[in-house]
Amino acid sequence: MKSYKELPDDAGSNIIGQVTAQANRLSQRLSTVKHTVAIMSGKGGVGKSAITANIATALSLMGCTVGIVDADINGPSIAKMMGVRNITLEYTKSGVLPAISHLGIKIISMDLILSEDDAPVMWNAQTQKDAFTWRSTMEVGALREFIGDTEWGDLDFLLLDLPPGSDRLPNVVELIPNLGGVVVVTIPSEISQLIVKKSITMARDILKVPIIGVVENMAFYMCKHCGEPEPLFSVQDTSDYKLNENTLGKIPFDPKLSLCNDSGTPYLSEYLNTPATEAITEIAHKIQNFFNS
Amino acid sequence: MKFLCIDCDTAMKFKDVTRPEQGSVTAVFECPECFTEIAMYLNPSETQMLKSLDLKLGGNNEAVQPMQMVRSQLETAKKDPFTNISSEVTNGETAEGGKCPFTSVISEAFDENSEPTPEPEQSGLKWTSEALERLERIPSFVRPMAKMGIESFAKDNGHSEITGEIMDAARGNFPAQF
Repeated sequence: MKSYKELPDDAGSNIIGQVTAQANRLSQRLSTVKHTVAIMSGKGGVGKSAITANIATALSLMGCTVGIVDADINGPSIAKMMGVRNITLEYTKSGVLPAISHLGIKIISMDLILSEDDAPVMWNAQTQKDAFTWRSTMEVGALREFIGDTEWGDLDFLLLDLPPGSDRLPNVVELIPNLGGVVVVTIPSEISQLIVKKSITMARDILKVPIIGVVENMAFYMCKHCGEPEPLFSVQDTSDYKLNENTLGKIPFDPKLSLCNDSGTPYLSEYLNTPATEAITEIAHKIQNFFNS
Repeated sequence: MKFLCIDCDTAMKFKDVTRPEQGSVTAVFECPECFTEIAMYLNPSETQMLKSLDLKLGGNNEAVQPMQMVRSQLETAKKDPFTNISSEVTNGETAEGGKCPFTSVISEAFDENSEPTPEPEQSGLKWTSEALERLERIPSFVRPMAKMGIESFAKDNGHSEITGEIMDAARGNFPAQF
């Protein structure tokens, strides 16, 4: 009796051919993108999406062509922050045209597809009871289509705003084997730093993805009265950070940044000379230099 | 996944696939030498896994549509989240994949917009609330099969209502406990 290896194919389904075709489409799509950068964190709520939106804005203001993939399939926020939430996506034979912000930043997000503000991501299925067995696969499939089926055109940077945690990065690396690097966002609290180290280990030691650097968000605030920086969180001494060698910058807390997120206007395009704008712009320059060096 | 006709020691070939019925897909394979056919049933979880990978049984000879998985599978999408602005015809072109001659049947198998396969006839049997409750405890991916089996058992034994006792009696016919 013939063994598995002796049988010529999989009875006509050509699963390997189908998977290879998917990978080829994705690779071909990214051939016009110079640099892909994943923005990740450890814990949620550290401002990762806001940093992504504003780094994209900074790069755009520096003259780069930029796209953003909102890879947070279940908690998409980039479309809102970039003011493109009401755009209806269009498609042609060759792909879906991304939403484009007023600065020309190209955006794809689940938020552009969901029906209502309060609509969660639900997939067609006979039953949702066993969804744990396939839901994650469905989300990776959606991410693959977001990256591979969007008409990005020529881009200098494609930023991927990942959901919190380290679990999505392996999927991204599988989809984009030549991922340019990872920017890690944290805040100066012990808990956030404890968790973000896991993400760094996952990226650097396990997946062998270059760490472009760590961004410390809400690092301090500028005192209204004396104009001096004051700490917001508990960790004052970041020398034991383990991450210091890669620090890209420290962004001060500015409540106007949150207001800009809500109004769909990137902070950087509204406030040109604030400490936060200067910090984010410097981070964008460091990201650019990382690839140019 | 490969299938061997043991008598002929020959690889069986994909022949046909049905649309998902109660979440399950049936694929038929045939021996090219003796023409023996076998049916492979995918339970709803296996069917869903195949859909989530955007893979087609029997190969994919149709042109790939942009974001076809999200467009066809997202239940909570807007009514018309994407507008086609292309005047080009996109159907009938060949993408990489298998060379199965039954492509139209295959593509329809996962096309939620195509005409559905008629649901099987209702059994006409009543279920008591206790029996329904017990039915709900059966894992969902085998529940349709178990339901059909219990109803078949009840009919064969002249019952018009399915009770807990009948389920107990039918239990011997199934590997799963309920």
